[in-house]
Amino acid sequence: MTSKKNNVMRSIKKYLILTLLVVFGIVPALQAQNDLQISRVFDQYGEKKGVVMVELTDEMLEGYDFSLFKSITITNNPQAADFIRNCLVKDEAGAKKVKQVVSNGIPTSIYLQLPRKNELYRLILFNESFKPEQKITLIYIESKNDSEDVLKLILKKK
Amino acid sequence: MVKRMKIKMKYKLSFSEADKLIERYYEGLTTGVEEKRLMDFLSQSKLPDRFKPEQAIFGYFHQKKQKTHFSVRSYISWISAAAVILSVVFGLQFLEAGNRGDYAYIDGKRITDIREVKSQALASLSDIDTGTNEVEESFKNLNNKDLIKDQLNVFSGL
Repeated sequence: MTSKKNNVMRSIKKYLILTLLVVFGIVPALQAQNDLQISRVFDQYGEKKGVVMVELTDEMLEGYDFSLFKSITITNNPQAADFIRNCLVKDEAGAKKVKQVVSNGIPTSIYLQLPRKNELYRLILFNESFKPEQKITLIYIESKNDSEDVLKLILKKK
Repeated sequence: MVKRMKIKMKYKLSFSEADKLIERYYEGLTTGVEEKRLMDFLSQSKLPDRFKPEQAIFGYFHQKKQKTHFSVRSYISWISAAAVILSVVFGLQFLEAGNRGDYAYIDGKRITDIREVKSQALASLSDIDTGTNEVEESFKNLNNKDLIKDQLNVFSGL
């Protein structure tokens, strides 16, 4: 009787451990963006006032074929800008810095080409402007197309 | 429970009975039921040393039988575990897919009109500040293996 109970408990424990492993290990890994610090920016500021957050999946946008396009525009929030810069410092590890503009010792423009994940090319674009008001723009792109081509295309279209 | 104990008591062999059965076993005269009784008897832990050779023989068969039984159970248990995990993974992916999509948040208000979402995405792209040539140059430098050599050559004439 007791051994039966023990067996049931053991198998429940086994399922529980495996399920937890899957939930906290495998599932987040399926989303390429979740391994990045900037995902915290979208989570924290995305639904706040003075913020515009956009998410597009598998969409053609002016000829760009994106698997995922996420952008956030925050106005008049210097703290958010600092928070994003801190996140970018961490996300820079292993990434190629395509461009960085530093103004008065503070990076105001950063473009990062991230290592590929799940066959997807990934890009982070960050910009902070001050005229007419402080405006931060952070864009995260996943694409099956080469990130160099994507970036060139974006910049040429402007 | 009482009935079970009675049955057990009924089938429990005395040492002399066991000796007789073992003798019959070696002579090839035992029936299947007798062998089962002998096996049950020999599977006891505290038996006199004289039963050790038989315990080894029967223990081997018993273990083998148990092992097969265990592997089948474990096989079924692992299949169930895998099914649970797959359900969790697909469930979470389904939920995640439901959350992902084409939307925008403007001042905390969710918008799903695709035209509006795309227009917000394009607006965020237009915020990205750059000179195209600067980025292209940067890409070239990233891919140029002779970059360091070229940079060092600047100093060679000094």
